Amino acid sequence: MALFPIHSNFERDFVIQLVPVDTEDTMDEVAEKCAHHSIDRRVRRQPGKVLRVRHHEKGTLFPRDMKVSEAGLRPTETLDILFMDE
Amino acid sequence: MALMQREEWYDLTRATNWTPDYVGEDELFPEEMSGARGISMEDWESYDEPYKVTYPEYVTTQREKDSGAYSVKAALERDAFVDRADPGWVSTMIAHYGAIALAEYAASIAEARMARFAKAPGNRNMAVFGMMDENRHGQIQLFFPHANVKRSRQWDWAHKAYHTNEWGAIAARSLFDDMMMTRDAVGVSIMLTFAFETGFTNMQFLGLAADAAEAGDHTFASLISSIQTDESRHAQQGGPSLKVLLEHGKKEEAQQMIDVAIWRSWKLFSVLTGPIMDYYTPLEARKQSFKEFMQEWIIAQFERQLIDLGLDKPWYWDEFMRALDETHHGMHLGVWYWRPTVWWNPAAGVTPAEREWLEEKYPGWNDTWGQAWDVIVDNLQNGKPELTGPETLPTICNMSNIPIVGTPGNGWNVKDYQLEHEGRLYHFGSEPDRWCFQVDPERYKKHMNFIDRFLAGEIQPPDLMGGLAYMGLAPGEMGDDAHGYSWVEAYRQATENAA
Repeated sequence: MALFPIHSNFERDFVIQLVPVDTEDTMDEVAEKCAHHSIDRRVRRQPGKVLRVRHHEKGTLFPRDMKVSEAGLRPTETLDILFMDE
Repeated sequence: MALMQREEWYDLTRATNWTPDYVGEDELFPEEMSGARGISMEDWESYDEPYKVTYPEYVTTQREKDSGAYSVKAALERDAFVDRADPGWVSTMIAHYGAIALAEYAASIAEARMARFAKAPGNRNMAVFGMMDENRHGQIQLFFPHANVKRSRQWDWAHKAYHTNEWGAIAARSLFDDMMMTRDAVGVSIMLTFAFETGFTNMQFLGLAADAAEAGDHTFASLISSIQTDESRHAQQGGPSLKVLLEHGKKEEAQQMIDVAIWRSWKLFSVLTGPIMDYYTPLEARKQSFKEFMQEWIIAQFERQLIDLGLDKPWYWDEFMRALDETHHGMHLGVWYWRPTVWWNPAAGVTPAEREWLEEKYPGWNDTWGQAWDVIVDNLQNGKPELTGPETLPTICNMSNIPIVGTPGNGWNVKDYQLEHEGRLYHFGSEPDRWCFQVDPERYKKHMNFIDRFLAGEIQPPDLMGGLAYMGLAPGEMGDDAHGYSWVEAYRQATENAA
């Protein structure tokens, strides 16, 4: 249980943002925390879509239930948050 | 006794080199300060500046210029233009003075370095006048806005900005410290006078002067065009340095200095001049778009100068051209969204009429930038202004010190150019920004950008209030929408007209 800084590159937004998450957060929870800073601010909701987390540099899509501590992230790692069907 | 013609004595007074007896040449002109790069004193004497001026000519001309600029100001003071100017235009002035005034004074120090340490006598001569020019520019751009401090504390930022850790001030200091405060005399002539001044300042001082005249701001128009006449002279110091370097096989080194300086300068203009020209300047006063001004001054004129000198276009030129359609729109949206963190009041500049203009100048604007602004407009119309303000920090580039942005909406392409160096993860807003770092990592690696400082606990409390305090922004200074959101009315009107 520790604070972990990541950078959120949210789909359809114009800027990358600093988002503090927790090492015990699942990727779904990370996506939710990132969504708070983009959805309904500069990005419209997409009902029926799921938010998925992708490693920005490597392009790997993380499983939804993977924890931050298991993902091999460096502090301030940039993550893409994407609207996907599943 | 008849006086000699200037042409008969000028070259004699200009030849001020001598062979030192009491100290070595290296002590008089240390390489770290002179940047002679192995080229002899004698060879530096071939440096030939295109504009030559004598001291009597200088003082006569400058006195006339100052009389002109100061008397226009005095005459128009009673007109109180500032009180009836469009708020977007007022913000333009406040942003300009804060970003520029102390940089001008700093430039006089950089000119002084050339005046003392350039091995080329012509460079030393002209730099004395350049030093006085920049001193003038610092003073006049503090004196003019000072008349307005009674109107708002934001006008005080003409002096205050560079003394704070406001993020824009950090970005500006980073640029100028890199380009002119910490370079040798030859480096200053190339990075400051050639790349920054010849390349870019015409945008801010002449392009903007044209808009100012259209907006009815004759004090400002006369001031900045007067300043630019000095610039046209002292900016000529870089070209002759480049000629000497190229003649002695130093093209690669010269090119690299130019490439770094141009990209870093571009980034400052994208956040300052871009929003001013395309969003703050009242629609009817916009002579040209930012992109059109850039294409006229940078591409048409500066590119030609580079080729004429025997240099190449910077390796990233295609990316630069592409970025002219994008970066400043992102900087504007970012500055507006994070408006409490700047010392001026950003004008949104996105009424339906303005968006038509933007679409005309930047086809696809509504499909991309417009998508983001639509959400903001909805929030303002639906009583959710809290969603039009930030709850976190944007990711900041470790070179330019401004946010990492890209195209949103249907053209989404935002990218972080990362680099791991000696165990630390750096983030850059573009490939050229990352390249600048890689050219000389020792030079840049220790710098902490705003995010680094936040994560290191330097900003306390670690929230918006702590951030504003860290940046020196008090109530009455932090930015808000220039028009008090009254522009949203135009959307309601457009909906009603359509219905």
